[in-house]
Amino acid sequence: MVANLTRRGLMAGSAVLAASAAFAPMRALAATNINYWHHFTSQAEFAGLQAVMESFAKSHPAIQVTQENIPNPEFMAKFTAAVVSGSRPDATMVTAERLADMLAMEGLVDITARVDAWDQKANFPDDRWKGISREGKIYGVPAFAFVDWGYYRSDWFEEAGIAGPPATYAEFVDIAKKLTDPAKGRYGFGMRGGAGGQKYVLDVMEAFGAPVVDAEGNIGLDRDKAIEAVKFYAGLFTTDKVVPPSAPGDGYRQIMEAFRTGQTGMIWHHTGSFQEISAALKPGVEFKTFAIPAGPVARVARLAYLYNAMMKEENADAAWDWISYWGQTEPALALLEKTGYFPANAAVVNDERITSNPLYAPAVETLSFGILPANFVGIAGWSEHTVLAAFQKVLIGQLSAEDAVDEMIAGLEETK
Amino acid sequence: MAERMSALSEQSPSIWRRLDPAAALGRLSESRYWMYLLLVPSAILILAVVLYPTVYGFQLSFRQMRLNRPDLGTGFVGFKHYIYMWSDKVFWLSLRNTAVWVTFAVVIEFALGLVAALALNRNLPGTKIMGVLILLPFFLPNVVAGHMWALLLDPRLGVVNDILVRLGFLETYKAWFADPSTALGAAILVEAWHGFPFFALLLLAGLKGVPDDLYKAASVDGAGPIRQLRLITLPMLRSVIAAAVILRVIGLVNSPDLLLILTGGGPGQSTQVLSLYAFQKAYKDFNFGYAGALSVVMFVLLMVFAWAYVRVSKVNQD
Repeated sequence: MVANLTRRGLMAGSAVLAASAAFAPMRALAATNINYWHHFTSQAEFAGLQAVMESFAKSHPAIQVTQENIPNPEFMAKFTAAVVSGSRPDATMVTAERLADMLAMEGLVDITARVDAWDQKANFPDDRWKGISREGKIYGVPAFAFVDWGYYRSDWFEEAGIAGPPATYAEFVDIAKKLTDPAKGRYGFGMRGGAGGQKYVLDVMEAFGAPVVDAEGNIGLDRDKAIEAVKFYAGLFTTDKVVPPSAPGDGYRQIMEAFRTGQTGMIWHHTGSFQEISAALKPGVEFKTFAIPAGPVARVARLAYLYNAMMKEENADAAWDWISYWGQTEPALALLEKTGYFPANAAVVNDERITSNPLYAPAVETLSFGILPANFVGIAGWSEHTVLAAFQKVLIGQLSAEDAVDEMIAGLEETK
Repeated sequence: MAERMSALSEQSPSIWRRLDPAAALGRLSESRYWMYLLLVPSAILILAVVLYPTVYGFQLSFRQMRLNRPDLGTGFVGFKHYIYMWSDKVFWLSLRNTAVWVTFAVVIEFALGLVAALALNRNLPGTKIMGVLILLPFFLPNVVAGHMWALLLDPRLGVVNDILVRLGFLETYKAWFADPSTALGAAILVEAWHGFPFFALLLLAGLKGVPDDLYKAASVDGAGPIRQLRLITLPMLRSVIAAAVILRVIGLVNSPDLLLILTGGGPGQSTQVLSLYAFQKAYKDFNFGYAGALSVVMFVLLMVFAWAYVRVSKVNQD
């Protein structure tokens, strides 16, 4: 074979190879590649993402999306590094509480003109855009909603003769006490006192009349009301003892495990965990859902929309196609089916597949009174490190509620 | 022209020899400056890779640098961060926790590593396989080891809790990382498990260099295993021990990853250490100026420790 190879043949072969190499990049350039950063965690979330990506690939064959999972705790560190080093992805997931920090770093692209020209915009009421807008400019498209709600063990309720889920904090504590039986390893409430627990501390404080941002937009805490709230919420662990002893360290995984394995009778979370819990317990039989109960002053349940945004101008058209695709009917319902995340598109919420399921009713009810999370520069760091740490100190007896609230107020001052 | 040049070169050959680059290089290579010239590429590399980032880190600690507050600018703020640090309760708590974390982890890791190295050095059957098994924890990335131990010590599903309850040491499952009295201790044990093969590896390498004759002579003189360990093994390993301890202390002081996964510094900052605090200040609060100051303090503490340790251990006298 080698002996038959002539110089002319070698030259011709080389020319063919060179031509192929020259054309190969052109073929590759036919599809636009975009990178997408997200912080999905669970198997259900990944299944939802895959469903959306597959349907996007069918409807947009010229765009290839490469997804990259960034664990939530490291997300802002990676985002910061990407912005500072200039190695940005094309699109990223954004939560409302991170918007202020991301914009301060000039990490997102203004897409107001694209949104205004979008045919789906009318299906997204104004409140959907509030969490992703600053000074009249829009920086992302609502992809889906975290609608706060609770899960309760309906079989335990029946067993204890409890008529239905609590509507107020007082009823909530009553029921939690009835369900608690440490001898059986049962506790009424799965408190998230570890990672991510700061959200609930802020919610309870607001339910007691101490919002961190008041109606006029002023940042601060009403000390007395905040103390009352911390006493109530920490009291579930320290005095009422309706919470597992592991609560100060319990994050998402732990509260879910505890509920699924029959250690706790009620948990607060959002619609995103619905499919995960349904895989372990029978929906409507072993567990049901309920709207977050009302506090003494306000009923606080968050409608935290999750957005997709663009981080750079390069590949802007392809990135826009991708982020706006999430807001459309079919991908929104595909995500709901896989994860339980509620559509942000108001037209999709009225879809029969949602309205006909009674377990979704508390989420639909919450849409009518739910509020957006507070949002200002520094809130993410303050809530995670000051609020949560101070609250944990109350749980473990290192601080009084008064001192904890003073630490929170002092920390809040430092963000200004 | 050529004739003129030729004539010139004949007249003054030394001028041309001086202008010839090859000849000049030859002369330079014979001078005492040649060795400095050879060091220039390495020196540039060190300046670029080591010195510049270090100096940048130092100057960062004297600047305002909050990425989410561009309105504050990035100006020189003098010792502002260091003055704030003086009154920062979390800093002092972190400093204390860092000392506890590093001291206990290094002592336990050294003890376990020494036992493992002595056992592996006996060349008994199966020691090669045991050697690989002992090194396994060190091959695991901190993140994997952290998640694995978080599950093993889980208050609901943890195997460790199950074993301790079955053996009667515990009445019920314990939430190790939720209780401030056990959280740091549990994290130290996880770190010790993960880090002791480092000592085992270095000490084993050191043991291979200790001549057998010394032990034989000591045996003849009636020295038992404990005296041999005290009077031969440990003194002969002094340099290795010093290097291993310094490297491990630096690693422990600078790595927040295990605690980040196991406790996140909680509950209530009871497991907060300096590296984790600096990480959180930089990447959660985006306050790179203050995080830089914390890093500088860690740097200085490590330098002081390394200097003091080398002096106390008298390793330079070997």
